Amino acid sequence: MIPLTVICGYLGSGKTTLINNILQSTKKPIGVLVNDFGELNIDEQLILNQDDLTIALTNGCVCCNLNDDLGASLEFMLDQDIDAVLLESSGVALPVKMSNYGSTWPGYNLNQTITVVEGRTIKDLLSDKFVSKTVEAQIIQSDLIYLNRFSTEDVELISKLNSEYLVDDEKEILYESIFDIKNLLLKSKGLPYEDHNQLKSDVLQINHPIDEKTILKFIRENPGIERLKGWISDSDKNTWLVQKTRSECNFSISNYETISRLVVIYKDKINLETLGI
Amino acid sequence: MIEIFKAKSVITVNPSMPRAEAVAVRDGLILEAGTLETLQPWLVNNEYSINEQFKDSIIVPGLIDPHLHPSMAAVLLPTFFITAMEWKLPWGTTPATKTPEAYDEALKRACTNPTHKDLFITWGHQELWHGPISRDRINSIESRKPVIVWNRSFHELCMNDAALDYLDIKEEDVKNASQIDFVKGRFFELGLGFAIQKLNPFILDPEIFSNGLMKLKEVVHFGGQTTIADMAVGLFNFDNELNAQKLIYENEDTPFRVELVAHATAMTSLSGGGLEKGEELIASLHEHNSHHLKFGKRVKLFTDGAFFAQVAQLMEPGYIDGHQGEWLSTPKQFEEIARIYWNKGYAIHVHVTGDLGLELAIDTLEKLQFEKPRFNHGFTLEHFGLSTPEQVFRLSKLGANVSANAYYLYELSNIYANYSVGYERASSMARIGSCFREGVTTGLHSDFTMAPAQPLMSMWVAVNRINEKEEVMSPEERITPQQGLEAITINAARILGLDHEIGSIRSGKKADFTVLSQDPLTIDPIEIKDINIEATVFEGKIFDIN
Repeated sequence: MIPLTVICGYLGSGKTTLINNILQSTKKPIGVLVNDFGELNIDEQLILNQDDLTIALTNGCVCCNLNDDLGASLEFMLDQDIDAVLLESSGVALPVKMSNYGSTWPGYNLNQTITVVEGRTIKDLLSDKFVSKTVEAQIIQSDLIYLNRFSTEDVELISKLNSEYLVDDEKEILYESIFDIKNLLLKSKGLPYEDHNQLKSDVLQINHPIDEKTILKFIRENPGIERLKGWISDSDKNTWLVQKTRSECNFSISNYETISRLVVIYKDKINLETLGI
Repeated sequence: MIEIFKAKSVITVNPSMPRAEAVAVRDGLILEAGTLETLQPWLVNNEYSINEQFKDSIIVPGLIDPHLHPSMAAVLLPTFFITAMEWKLPWGTTPATKTPEAYDEALKRACTNPTHKDLFITWGHQELWHGPISRDRINSIESRKPVIVWNRSFHELCMNDAALDYLDIKEEDVKNASQIDFVKGRFFELGLGFAIQKLNPFILDPEIFSNGLMKLKEVVHFGGQTTIADMAVGLFNFDNELNAQKLIYENEDTPFRVELVAHATAMTSLSGGGLEKGEELIASLHEHNSHHLKFGKRVKLFTDGAFFAQVAQLMEPGYIDGHQGEWLSTPKQFEEIARIYWNKGYAIHVHVTGDLGLELAIDTLEKLQFEKPRFNHGFTLEHFGLSTPEQVFRLSKLGANVSANAYYLYELSNIYANYSVGYERASSMARIGSCFREGVTTGLHSDFTMAPAQPLMSMWVAVNRINEKEEVMSPEERITPQQGLEAITINAARILGLDHEIGSIRSGKKADFTVLSQDPLTIDPIEIKDINIEATVFEGKIFDIN
């Protein structure tokens, strides 16, 4: 049986970052399924995983989508030699529903459901006209909350919300830091953890035009960067695919139109000043 | 050669000349509607013939179903229908089966003839009428041949021992699955997803699928329709859907045209790029256009979950049992994608079922109107399950259209009043009278197979607002027969941006007619759904209905 971990959380809460952090923490093969609505079609490309072990899919209601991509992908993963599967849900998916993939699909068992919460936006989301109930349900229904970019006030808010509905004493809030990734992995029996490095990852979004020179300067200033991948959009509105390994950095023109988004894997700390974010 | 179609009466749905006695047609186009006398100037120096086949009948504009799903229909129609409601189909009427005993009886009679190679698949089971289904129950009816019972909502199916064996589903594989009850043979939600993986070779088998599309051709004709819209091409697989429809429908024997509307997110995925690439792909689809099948500048988006599955998003106070609805698009992304198509001048069709799903669509439209005002933009709210009077007012002011599934009211209003949302909201589902009062262009659709592909049935529900328990639900929201007929002709044409060509009988439009035995505007409204449809005329050519 392959342990399946469900990762929920609203758009931009940091799900991809968490997944990259998990992937960087182990050398063991982990399958990643990214289920979105096909609207942005980008997140899976920001996941730094071994070849063929990340699949993007668009799954909807069974009554309007008989081609069950997610089911087919779960079947595919069964044939791979992997130790665990991470399922990144769409921003509005509910943990109780997604957890059924772990508890229903033959060959899998449910490890746990994790909801990623971004502290700086959670207050607004919990009063949002359209998604307040969904975001609240994501927090209440998950086995574990992974809180990032938070202040004390946010922690109090989540704790309060959680304690109002808390049925399960096991549930807890983990705070973002490298030690908590370790903590998270140790607690999750289904996620293989090896303490072999201390890499972190972040997804950077840059809303102003940015060029090759600036990126190279940013890399020079931050020797801790191990890998970097994503797209940048320059002032002529050209999009460039950027790929940096430890030894080299390549830029190639891309016909993929997008805002600048980069995933960066690094040791210690990075300084974002050069990028203006 | 001019052909004059004489009728007992022609209902033109042209407000300037609402009735006529005859229509002159040449090369598939209407020359004029009028009387034999007023048509004379066309006849003086031209050859003509007078067709009296419909002299005792009523001619109305060819009926239009502005929202159905040929691909879903092609999957469903090869199955055997055993349903709680009556379904009139070209090959026979499926009677209403309302008790567990009657269900078992019907299944026993039918299941000896396999529908899919060696498998027998029936659709339409509903626990409320037919009682709980289980492996043992099906075994007791048929133990040797594989039988699969598919729920009316699509969200669950049940198999007998022979079917489990046939599909090689073993207890040790699925015994711990939370949404598969192996003992009872039941597969629901994700368990259903697993079962469908096993069934896909049968239900999507090219021969069976083509046969399903052929059957839909009969169904559409039988319902008196001369235009339908496929309101989400790309639902399963864009190329397969388009190619299969071209193969089956692009020929002289097809008595209707199909307006194709692409599924935005499916096309974005297919384009392999971002939202802009998806739009570019949709913009190029007109290259596929042929006589019967056309893409216009329209696109399909979704807000909330399915109405039949009770996952529509509701505003306060929500569902009685407190469960949550679902979003089919993340609201923030819905706005982003709508903005792209709005700014490029598309007519945007949005699937909305609950009042919160509708609110998202209306709020988004309001923002887009503020950013880039447009007139006669064709933004259409599809399905329109639950709404509020205030939303009808707002959507009217913003210039939106409504394409409603009135049949929800017929089949669901009693159950939803008792078990889902309470009487007040259930009785006003498909709030169509208010739409007409606010001047909203309002059409009716079937979303087949969510409702029968019979526009006269949709019209009957909207005019009478009677549910399957024969209760009248919110009579204030009824519409007149005249409005009902407009909803399945000219308004449906406007919703598809085709009102310059079809939807009424007037000089210059395509000669699409539906021929009825009785007058839908003067008959007792309770009999509208039982009016006999004798034939359709598609671009001047007669297609009889036997």
